[in-house]
Amino acid sequence: MNENPQRVEEFREAISEMKISHPPPAVERAYLWLGVIGVAVGFVLIVMGYNGAATTEFTPEAVSYLISGGVVGLALIVVGVGLFLRYSMARFQRFWLLRDIFEQRAQTDRIIQVLERIEKLDIEIE
Amino acid sequence: MDPRQPSEANARAAAMPPELMQDPLLELEAVTAAYGRIQVLNGVDLAVPAGTVLALLGPNGGGKSTTLKVASCQMEPTSGRVKIAGRTVNGATSEQLAELGVCTIPEGRGIFANLTVRENLELATYTGKSLSAIEDRTYSFFPRLAERRHQLAGTMSGGEQQMLSMSRALSSDPVLLMLDELSMGLAPLVVEELYAVVSQVAGEGVSILVVEQFARTVLGVADWAAIMLGGRITRVGPPGELEQELTAAYLGDR
Repeated sequence: MNENPQRVEEFREAISEMKISHPPPAVERAYLWLGVIGVAVGFVLIVMGYNGAATTEFTPEAVSYLISGGVVGLALIVVGVGLFLRYSMARFQRFWLLRDIFEQRAQTDRIIQVLERIEKLDIEIE
Repeated sequence: MDPRQPSEANARAAAMPPELMQDPLLELEAVTAAYGRIQVLNGVDLAVPAGTVLALLGPNGGGKSTTLKVASCQMEPTSGRVKIAGRTVNGATSEQLAELGVCTIPEGRGIFANLTVRENLELATYTGKSLSAIEDRTYSFFPRLAERRHQLAGTMSGGEQQMLSMSRALSSDPVLLMLDELSMGLAPLVVEELYAVVSQVAGEGVSILVVEQFARTVLGVADWAAIMLGGRITRVGPPGELEQELTAAYLGDR
């Protein structure tokens, strides 16, 4: 029946060796939210660190405020933005590409419709 | 556990002809799928044996296109198993399957309207084949596309666009081909021409699952036919046996 049994055999082999990862959408969403929360907590820590450092008269205390509030807060913001971009941009870009393709098709359809109308008018005039 | 489940499973297995279960390349086992809260597939069992053409028929809204989406891993089933070449592939991506040789031709136009025919074919070279090899194969199946090679794809007739869509798919050297409503919006003569190519491709040993609403042409090409109603396969058998039942299914006499 099969004219190309070797191709089918290769296919079967490839399917059996295929790596199937199971990225549950819930986990992706969780990472995205983790990123958002990280950014928010980072900002809060920075504000708290700034407030602590600004309201103390002792330099060593101010430094510890700046380290725990400023540096940790900044690190949380960087990691959070990274997570957010990783788990949101790919999705967004896929949607954007689809939208682009859809709009281009709609545009071409409109041009064709207009051309057809012009053609009809031409024929009527002749 | 629902005490009815075992008997329902037996009933489904009994409905499937044993010939279909011999070495199936594609198999769906008790697949259910939903769009949000709306359940569309209610336990679909289907098998496409290697090197055969199976036509999935039935009226609109029966779940045919959803079955195809689930089978090609474009949509995750809510339960049940999708098996390709004996392996459960739930969780695989449609890109992975396409790379290995599972090809889907979607409903409507799967082409870039603002590119020329040749440029559209050029996009198919991602599979590693040369453009000239793809062009040779395409123009041997559809000589009409050779005349239109420098024309914008969007300005061709619906039939020619569908031909281009098919040739891009065929150039990937598929082992399992899934076609969704090939005849949609096309003139009967064009549909016949397209199905002649499907028949030719089947002759090369490619296993094909065809989803169609209008059965007449596809029944001549198919080795097996299945009727789908209300998210279930209600009957599977040789096309000749199903023709009568099909009329009844379309008229709602079931």
